[in-house]
Amino acid sequence: MKHVDWRWVLTGSALALAVSAPFLLSGYPYWLHVAIVAYFYAILASSWSLLAGHAGQFSFAHMAFMAIGAYGSGLMGKYWGTSPLTGIVLSTVLAGLVGLIIGVLCLRLKGAYLALFTIAFSEVLRLTLNAELDITGGPNGLDLPPLLATTSRVPYYYLMLTLLLVSLGFMYWLAGSRFGLFFRSIREDEEAAAAMGVHIVRYKVLAFVITAMIAGLAGGVEAHYIGLITPNILILGQMSIVIAMAVIGGIESLLGAAIGAILIQFSLELLRELGNWRLVAFGLLLMLTLRFARNGLIYPLIERLVLYQARRAVIEGREQKAKQAGEGA
Amino acid sequence: MELDVRDVHLHFGGIRALNGVSFTVRGPELIGLIGPNGAGKTTLTNVISGVYKPSKGAVYLNGERISGLPPYHIARRGIGRTFQVTRAFRRMTVLENMLVPAMALHPAGRRQEFVERAHEILRFLTMDHLALEYARSLSGGQQKLLELGRLLMLDPDVIILDEPFAGVHPKLRETIWEFITTVHQQGKAFIIISHDMETIFTLSQRLLVLNFGQLIADGPPEQVKEDPAVIEAYLGKEDE
Repeated sequence: MKHVDWRWVLTGSALALAVSAPFLLSGYPYWLHVAIVAYFYAILASSWSLLAGHAGQFSFAHMAFMAIGAYGSGLMGKYWGTSPLTGIVLSTVLAGLVGLIIGVLCLRLKGAYLALFTIAFSEVLRLTLNAELDITGGPNGLDLPPLLATTSRVPYYYLMLTLLLVSLGFMYWLAGSRFGLFFRSIREDEEAAAAMGVHIVRYKVLAFVITAMIAGLAGGVEAHYIGLITPNILILGQMSIVIAMAVIGGIESLLGAAIGAILIQFSLELLRELGNWRLVAFGLLLMLTLRFARNGLIYPLIERLVLYQARRAVIEGREQKAKQAGEGA
Repeated sequence: MELDVRDVHLHFGGIRALNGVSFTVRGPELIGLIGPNGAGKTTLTNVISGVYKPSKGAVYLNGERISGLPPYHIARRGIGRTFQVTRAFRRMTVLENMLVPAMALHPAGRRQEFVERAHEILRFLTMDHLALEYARSLSGGQQKLLELGRLLMLDPDVIILDEPFAGVHPKLRETIWEFITTVHQQGKAFIIISHDMETIFTLSQRLLVLNFGQLIADGPPEQVKEDPAVIEAYLGKEDE
């Protein structure tokens, strides 16, 4: 009997569910909104997983790059009259440029030093946005015009879903290419990677630039969808949520981090009645994950169902080849 | 191929780690680098591979100065090395470990060709069956073999091995020995650091002896064995 290929079964089911969600949730616009926000966090968590889990750069500046995308687009529209689309594109590039600068400045920093540096950068940005009342609106935030000329959430839903799938697809391509191989070799051992000919500086900075651009793009789209961005998005608690989503999903798995983000976002909404206790539960889950399941809760399942099958396919292919060669001889 | 180490000094604050080390490797020589603990052996390999920039003096490869270049550049120029403590990429598979140097060296190369080459090398190292295993699941000796395999994927002209036989099972030791002699016959130069005197004296064609950052002997093993300065470095002076 042929083995069931769970990779395709699961991917197909998840895609079908995601595409049909607006119809399934047609009477529940609030839950459609939750899904859009969940996809937004899924983009952030998976891109942070690429930076931290794959490239080993444990940065706390991810929400700052997201905010640069959001504020950048809003301010360009306010002062230069750019359209939301142009603003999003330009602010994505801006986030990449800032990522380049931060990446270069962080080249020699690792672990706690890198974390502290990026926290400081986020705080400087947050305090600046807070202080510049005339320009950014300060704590009241900055209003942004809608990206799409519609009051319906459905087009935004598909837009954010597309953004998630495209960014995941791009990141998977990257992770599977030589870039991903070099990212992981740097994560494992910078000195050994350099001794193997890997240009450490180039790939560390590249990881920052790419993930900053993805976060910036997501931030721009989300801000135009919500219509408001405030400096509060930059508080450490927000960044911690993204990190927790990635860790619970599986820090080394892009898909694990994305699924983790979606499940956690929905769980937080479902448990809203519990008030702050849901965050306590969420924190406990994070602690338990770090203590007992360092690969996260989602990633082991993916590894079991997907990677195991992929490996078995390779081994079976090789055995088949050897058998054919034996028969030929 | 010519590797020329010219009057290399390296100071860490007031400590003189290397003090005027000079030697030349011409063609596929098999060189042993020995010396008591703290003599500067690993420091010297770090200078050659670009981890440290010499305070004075320089290293030349085929007439071109390589000291001051970043390690990745020196690796691409043709100097490969292993480390005293094995540094396999533990959370990557054996095959992925093998692909890193090949893809760094040939960015436009075809992955499939690298994969085939990697399997070929892994077969030679008797570990092809482990290709899809994570490096962290390998024994210490197997991780050392993997490091050697990675070096072959890098295909350098000069291979520096830091304690390749330390803590290795006798069977794997034979494989490493075979690796060195076979690859040497294919035209590669070796600089091997080892504390295992019997092995290094048997294996090497030429021995370099470091003591307190200075090269105190350079010659064939039989000659070095009788050198009073070497005997003194290892055993101390008679009146001590």
